[in-house]
Amino acid sequence: MRDLTAPALPAEVVTPARSRVKFLERERPLGYALILPAILYLSLFIAYPFIMSIYLSLTDAQAGNERWSFIGLGNYSHVSSYEILANDFVIATFPTEAVARAFVAQRSQGKVVTAPAQGARFRGSFLIADRTIPFLEMENEKDVVFQGETILQDLDWEVRPEAGSYAVVAHAKESPITLGPFATRGALDRMRKEQLLLKADTRVKTNGTGVVQDPNFPLALKNTFKYTFGTEIVKLFIGVPCAMLLNRRFGGRRILRGLIVIPWVIPIAISAQAWLWILDSTYSVINWCLVNWGIITPANIINFRGDKDWAMFSVILVNVWRGFPFTTIVILAGLTAIPDEIIERARVDGASAFQRFIYIISPMVRPILMVSLLFSVIFSFTDFNTIWIITKGGPYDQTQVLSTYAYQIGVNAGYLGRGAAISLFMFPIMAVMVYFMLQFLRREA
Amino acid sequence: MADVTLEHVEKRFGEVLAVRGIDLTVKDQEFVILVGPSGCGKTTTLRMIAGLEEVSGGDIRIGGRSVTYLPPRDRDIAMVFQSYALYPHMTVYRNMAFALQLRRLPKREIDGRVREVADILGLGEHLERKPRQLSGGQRQRVAVGAALCRQAGVLLFDEPLSNLDAKLRVHMRTELKRLHHSVKSTMIYVTHDQVEAMTMGDRIVIMNHGVICQIGTPLEVYDRPATQFVASFIGSPPMNFFNGELATSDGQAAVVLEGGLRLRLARQDLVGSAGRPVVFGIRPEYISLDPNGRPYAVKVPAVIDEVEPLGHDVIVSATCSAGVFQVEIEIYAGVQRLDHIDFWFDMNRAYLFDRETECAI
Repeated sequence: MRDLTAPALPAEVVTPARSRVKFLERERPLGYALILPAILYLSLFIAYPFIMSIYLSLTDAQAGNERWSFIGLGNYSHVSSYEILANDFVIATFPTEAVARAFVAQRSQGKVVTAPAQGARFRGSFLIADRTIPFLEMENEKDVVFQGETILQDLDWEVRPEAGSYAVVAHAKESPITLGPFATRGALDRMRKEQLLLKADTRVKTNGTGVVQDPNFPLALKNTFKYTFGTEIVKLFIGVPCAMLLNRRFGGRRILRGLIVIPWVIPIAISAQAWLWILDSTYSVINWCLVNWGIITPANIINFRGDKDWAMFSVILVNVWRGFPFTTIVILAGLTAIPDEIIERARVDGASAFQRFIYIISPMVRPILMVSLLFSVIFSFTDFNTIWIITKGGPYDQTQVLSTYAYQIGVNAGYLGRGAAISLFMFPIMAVMVYFMLQFLRREA
Repeated sequence: MADVTLEHVEKRFGEVLAVRGIDLTVKDQEFVILVGPSGCGKTTTLRMIAGLEEVSGGDIRIGGRSVTYLPPRDRDIAMVFQSYALYPHMTVYRNMAFALQLRRLPKREIDGRVREVADILGLGEHLERKPRQLSGGQRQRVAVGAALCRQAGVLLFDEPLSNLDAKLRVHMRTELKRLHHSVKSTMIYVTHDQVEAMTMGDRIVIMNHGVICQIGTPLEVYDRPATQFVASFIGSPPMNFFNGELATSDGQAAVVLEGGLRLRLARQDLVGSAGRPVVFGIRPEYISLDPNGRPYAVKVPAVIDEVEPLGHDVIVSATCSAGVFQVEIEIYAGVQRLDHIDFWFDMNRAYLFDRETECAI
């Protein structure tokens, strides 16, 4: 019998054969050589532009200027002055409606008077029906009179019921009264708290060269979300049934599966030309059909790219047409990954087609659906081509999204720094969206 | 009562006739095994009973009611699939409860049934896990459990053990058999493994090329195979076959094998059929190294080609003048490769098949 406790045979001493292996046989250099192109590409075309745009956004760079200087976060937010937009001034309150109406009737005989007040200011008051109603204090007497006469003569005076009494309110229909500009926040607060003597709806408007102060920026941001979520929802509603259809067995299924990706693979610069004609204001084939089918009259044909509501519809339509094949194919991949036996078991278990879709197919496709949604959201959120070719952001910036707006400001207008700042706003928003989607995916797995 | 009757059931896939009009009656609470090589139509038959495959011709009745055109959910059946087909996104509990929830059973009853079945199958502590957190054997149990919860009249099994490793398969085999005794369901079980068929079933249905070759208890099909195919399919190692011709010598029937070996038969009814071409068959178990006093043992000299030890037994491949054959003998016999040895065929246990029809004579 062999003694199992005996020491094992001495192991052969292995001397590490360092650099005995030929250079070409070694794996490490080959590995580095293989990832080098990727590293070069990423650093040259992704990292460098990204860092460069961060740098540019911190400068006052302009196209044509030889040198630029560092201005900190001025491109993101820079306030030069504040203004107050005021409306709905409460002139006076009365116990009954009749008295209030009588007061409003006296307005045409009303006057604006001024008197010196505290701190080298003039106090303006309305003199109406033997009542003196102070309304504003300002340093310049003429300004006080001008504002007072505007309120007295140009605004609509309405009687509004208000908690047991009736208020006479001066309402500006078109543009509210502008007070200011004020250089500092302190001056603004003084006007709101001390100098404006009537109760009114006030809103602060900031003027400045920063992106945040730009009134077009919130519009572009809103449009970007409208565009992204509009397209994604429609893509899902079209993509899911398309994928289910293509997952069935029928003749010509393979050909159809191939054909469906055509919108996705045609360069958008080419397909958009067709869409430009389809959405043309005069020659639109959609209008032609609608008129011929008697749905609309030739007089009110739709101006797809010129009307502010239809313009957003049009760019969403083109993006959906282009993007739904991607969604379809990804969902189809998810559907094909479900084993036949699972569906058969569901049938034996007694699930109807609808129940199979709700309880079995949907949950099993969901992870891959989220991946497709993630990609699709990124494509749409950063999409420039579709909008630029179809509407160029118009009409009146109604389809302006962040990417087109950044291009407009940065390249067309030449404010490179501000353009870079606009485009960088996409980064944190996308980061948050991607974070939540990945979080969701991780929980599923 | 959940007896299953198949009447001239046919299945056609395009030009191919996969199931060629089979007739089968499975009694209530019987455990019947459909067995055969791959492509013999056994799985297709099971899927037609389940309602997953349309029937091209004939009639299927469950509990006396024709279900030929009913969807699976109206057939009073439950099924265990080869790949288990567990819903990966549901917990074990929901996997087992799903079919009951679809039937809108009261929550309390669903819970009771699931926990009872989980206890029987030893799944109690895994109820909140997802299928991918379970081992192969546990998944198998969940699949069986989900089918048991249904309390359906007929349980269908589609090669449920083929994905398990050998040890677990033997274990589950006994467990399923035990389950059959406690569950009052008719069971129809498809397998290609003749050992599973022999060990588990009340009756075995052997299929080949879309037809049923024989239906019988395990012992019947082992002892009295109806065709050469059944004889070759049932038993391990398989039966040895030699071509030969019937002959008569000294007023007794004999068979003359190719190569001239003449073996005296134990049967008197074949005396008149001299010259008939037959296939002579004998199982490896009935060939031994000495006659042991058996009256119908005949001597066959042979050379040993190969010896495969199995433990207690060895399988010996040997060549005699009629051809190659296998023998199962005890390892202590100590035979070796290239030994010249006289084997003894127990002619009481010999089979004869018609060479044309392949039917047993």
